[in-house]
Amino acid sequence: MEQRNSVDREGRLRVVALQLAFMVVLLIVWHAIVAMGFVTRYLVPSPVDVGKAAYDLFQSGVLWKSVGLSLYRMICGYSVSLVLGTLLGILLARNWVAKATLGSLVLALQSLPSICWLPFALLWVGIDERAILAVVILGATFSIATATENAVRNVPPIYLKVGQVLGARGFTFARDILFFAALPEWLGGMKLGWSFAWRSLMAAELIRQDALGIGRLLEIGRAFNDVPMMLASMVLIVALGMAVDWGIFGVLERQVRRVYGLEK
Amino acid sequence: MAIEVKNISRTYHAQNTKNGKVAALGPISLTVREREFFAILGPSGCGKSTLLNVIAGLEVPDTGEVLVEGRVVDRPGPDRAVVFQEPGLMPWLTVRENVEYGLKLRGLSPEERRERALQYLKMVHLTKYADARPHQLSGGMRQRVSIARALALEPRVLLMDEPFSALDAQTRDLLHDELQRIWSETHVTIVFVTHNINEAVYLADRVLIMTAPPGQMRRIVRVPFARPRDKALPDLGIFAAMLHKEIKEEVAKVAARELDPDWTPASPQQTLDPAAGI
Ligand SMILES: Nc1ncnc2c1ncn2[C@@H]1O[C@H](COP(=O)(O)OP(=O)(O)OP(=O)(O)O)[C@@H](O)[C@H]1O
Ligand SMILES: [Mg+2]
Repeated sequence: MEQRNSVDREGRLRVVALQLAFMVVLLIVWHAIVAMGFVTRYLVPSPVDVGKAAYDLFQSGVLWKSVGLSLYRMICGYSVSLVLGTLLGILLARNWVAKATLGSLVLALQSLPSICWLPFALLWVGIDERAILAVVILGATFSIATATENAVRNVPPIYLKVGQVLGARGFTFARDILFFAALPEWLGGMKLGWSFAWRSLMAAELIRQDALGIGRLLEIGRAFNDVPMMLASMVLIVALGMAVDWGIFGVLERQVRRVYGLEK
Repeated sequence: MAIEVKNISRTYHAQNTKNGKVAALGPISLTVREREFFAILGPSGCGKSTLLNVIAGLEVPDTGEVLVEGRVVDRPGPDRAVVFQEPGLMPWLTVRENVEYGLKLRGLSPEERRERALQYLKMVHLTKYADARPHQLSGGMRQRVSIARALALEPRVLLMDEPFSALDAQTRDLLHDELQRIWSETHVTIVFVTHNINEAVYLADRVLIMTAPPGQMRRIVRVPFARPRDKALPDLGIFAAMLHKEIKEEVAKVAARELDPDWTPASPQQTLDPAAGI
């Protein structure tokens, strides 16, 4: 068993090393292509130019301000959609009237990219922060609801029987058994919801004119024909998205799956 | 009388039948005595699990009622514990916490819970794994924990629905003897649903043989062997073969109903062989 674990770890290390090497090679090739003059430098900057642009953003304090603002919006919007989506999902899973009525609506709304709500949001709540928040909330709520619904539905019936026999009823049952039994799948839904919220936020920030944010940085770069800055913003968007996806949700999910014995 | 089943029947809704209903069980009446080991045998789908669930209070019958120690069953209660075919251990809790959970709901203090959980884990020889997670245990060990969890509630009646049918033969043999020992130590009344005729003959005081669905009582058979019993004893095999013949008749009724009309029962010579089913 121990031996297999160490083999697993070795294998994982090898994969990480390969990934890093691939990135480095990619950067070198990119740099070489630009340096050898195959492309117009003004349209395709080298990685060094992008790094410089990122450093400038960092120096001027704009970077932190943008990251801070974007994350702040994410946390506000996402918390709301987590609560709303979870409640809605539980309702859909446990109440067939809700499922028959709200269920199809949720399904329909899920296929509408949430950025399509922006014009509406601007009309309703005006050109202000709340319009962005509305788009973020709408972006994540329905996918979280659907995932929560499935998570609750997929709880193996044996736990319902065991819970009843042991004397867990009502709220006690929901807190002690339903919650934990649904947790792995629900976490997957939370992760998905986060990435939807992130996409929605970036789209909204690109379109809205008056507030800072990472998406905004990209648009500012375009306005000033500053391609390095555009690329630096894009790298930042990817990096932040991945950091939360892997660093928070990925780790949480893996931890839970390990405790439950769903993976080694 | 530990359990009195009075005129129980149960019908389910089903889309694929003529009248949208399927009669699953009964009407059936029987009594299980105090400290008895009572086994239930019958063709698949005859309502064995339904009967057990009604006694457990997990399902409400259409007609009739069940009394456990004189009290009418209307919901699951602390006097009845159930062991299912699946262990159903909660993977987010350790083995000990699994056993403790029902006790926690009964309001026992943490010290009492811990002590009692260890006492019953000891009874199934798993104290070493008290702090392990369920996924670290083998199938047989998990079922042991499930039995410990049920016994820790100190119920009057232990209801078991094919508890060993997912286990390999060796593990099952071990658990047969463990269960007999536990039964004699705890004085609990056991109702034991199984498909395994030999298991029923080896373990039970009496065996209920149910008819093809909707399951009614075909016969209750007293198992005439003194304990401790020896699995290798030819008498047990002959007795099992006798029961096997009866159940086969009921199974044939089910098959005749469900399979194509060209189906006929296999030649009876095979089933009369006393060694069959050993
Ligand atoms: N929840 C349910 N909804 C509809 N029909 C059901 C339900 N539970 C059981 N049935 C039907 O009732 C009948 C009896 O089921 P039950 O599970 O009690 O039989 P069983 O004797 O335990 O069968 P097995 O030996 O396969 O475990 C079967 O025909 C089954 O299809
Ligand atoms: Mg059954």
